[in-house]
Amino acid sequence: MLTEQSAYTNRWRKVSPVAKGFFSLCGTIAAFAAGSPRTALLIALILAAATIRGAGIPPLRYLRVAAPALLFLAASCLSLVFSLDFGGTTGGAALYPAVAEFPRIAQVCCRSLACLTALLFLSLTTPLPDIITLLRHCKLPDTLLDLMVLCYRTLFVLSEAVHETITAQSARLGYASFRLSLRSLGSLLANLTVQVWQRSQALHLAALARNNDGALRFLESSHANASKSISIAAGAGAVMIALAVALP
Amino acid sequence: MSDSILKLEDVCYRYADGTRALDGCSLAIRRGARTAVLGANGAGKTTMFLHLNGILRPTAGQVLCEGTPLDYSRHGMRRLRSRVGMVFQNPDSQLFSASVREDISFGPMNLGLEEAAVRQRVEEALCAVGMADSADKPVHNLSYGQKKRVCIAGVLAMQPEIVVLDEPMAGLDAAMQDELTTILEKLHSGGMTIVVATHDLDFAYGWADESVVMDAGRLLAHGPPAEILRQKEVQSTLGAAPLVEEITRSLSLIGIDLRAKGYLPRSKKELLKAISDYAIQEGKP
Ligand SMILES: Nc1ncnc2c1ncn2[C@@H]1O[C@H](COP(=O)(O)OP(=O)(O)O)[C@@H](O)[C@H]1O
Ligand SMILES: [Mg+2]
Repeated sequence: MLTEQSAYTNRWRKVSPVAKGFFSLCGTIAAFAAGSPRTALLIALILAAATIRGAGIPPLRYLRVAAPALLFLAASCLSLVFSLDFGGTTGGAALYPAVAEFPRIAQVCCRSLACLTALLFLSLTTPLPDIITLLRHCKLPDTLLDLMVLCYRTLFVLSEAVHETITAQSARLGYASFRLSLRSLGSLLANLTVQVWQRSQALHLAALARNNDGALRFLESSHANASKSISIAAGAGAVMIALAVALP
Repeated sequence: MSDSILKLEDVCYRYADGTRALDGCSLAIRRGARTAVLGANGAGKTTMFLHLNGILRPTAGQVLCEGTPLDYSRHGMRRLRSRVGMVFQNPDSQLFSASVREDISFGPMNLGLEEAAVRQRVEEALCAVGMADSADKPVHNLSYGQKKRVCIAGVLAMQPEIVVLDEPMAGLDAAMQDELTTILEKLHSGGMTIVVATHDLDFAYGWADESVVMDAGRLLAHGPPAEILRQKEVQSTLGAAPLVEEITRSLSLIGIDLRAKGYLPRSKKELLKAISDYAIQEGKP
């Protein structure tokens, strides 16, 4: 929900998603082009600064959104740092730090971090409908995108239904004990299944009534000064890649 | 009737589980009129509406559009549905996209219009329902009433001749009901034919030119609300009488006969006006 909120309220909300997508892509390329961990870190910093300073996402919120991914990244890096050795001198299994691999591990971790910030940039500045528009530009299959449109919309409808059911169940002591909780959860699932079915039926009728015959077609959102912002994004992206390539 | 735009002739409909939802309904919808379809829950209003734009097909009887029976082929349905717009009751089960503009564009895009034309229609529809300011909000952050207006805009953008609204007032507070009435009034003065299902007797009494009363799949009465909704039989079926009508009747019991003076108030405003006029005439300002 934090991501969602930021995507709709940030300063760059109205900027063309193509520009933002392009900048994010350039960030990813720069991350891979970076020759050293230091350069990759620099790229990550630039991307984070663009998100926080440029789009005006509050730093604390940025950290909270990034935290789960960062934890995951840290865990994977730690697991790279330590190697398991079987049948060494002691005979048993031993955990030891792979000192020789440290530079490569640092490189991988910093690169991942830079890629992460590039993705965060896109997801925190661009509402999902805009991202779907962007993917449509990239000629992704329509069926997939239609599914995304419907899923995104249904997510909110269903989460509301779940909240309402749980509130109603709690009001009648449905979660007062473990046994009751299990029962309530079961009936929640059953209820939800029926609702999903009914809602899909209703959506189908609504689509028919609005003359639909298969593919979901929508007007693409238009963005003022799209070409200007795309050139700016391309320029900034190119600088980033150049930095990554030029720095040792 | 030559000026009827849609007509049901002895329409019966039976759902797959055997429920007889419509039982010999005959009804003509007059072009340009405001028709209110009244009936308790389960009377068959929604089922009848689904027949009006060909989503359901009668098990017996037929539906006519301008005198010709509906053509249920793909092509025929396309034509019919671009003329008859339908707004369903629950906004959450008819909004497809999380973006207001995108959702409104859905119908016009299905009509195969050019992008510029679609864009213009979307903006016009947004203005018609007073949602131009909220067009950039995601649908899930809108209030119930706003979602309802987006649904109406989605249908208006297809520029139909007839708009059919299923219980549009349900779940709206008094202020939002007034706003919606204003929107409907604007559409009516623009020449649109409007059909509304409701169980709000007072609204139907004040707003409609034609009222249709349904009970258990049957058509009980059809005619001007001032006649139909004053019938004892209709009132006992619906379980109530329009408040304005009851007050007028009660006043006549204590000697204030507004009807005799030629007043036939249909809304609260008209009633108050009639009473104050009456007072002035009687010399009691
Ligand atoms: N999909 C369905 N399957 C079976 N019966 C239905 C279905 N939809 C409605 N009905 C039944 O048809 C009757 C008329 O329903 P409906 O047209 O929804 O009434 P209203 O809109 O006036 O409340 C009701 O008895 C209802 O239970
Ligand atoms: Mg209904």
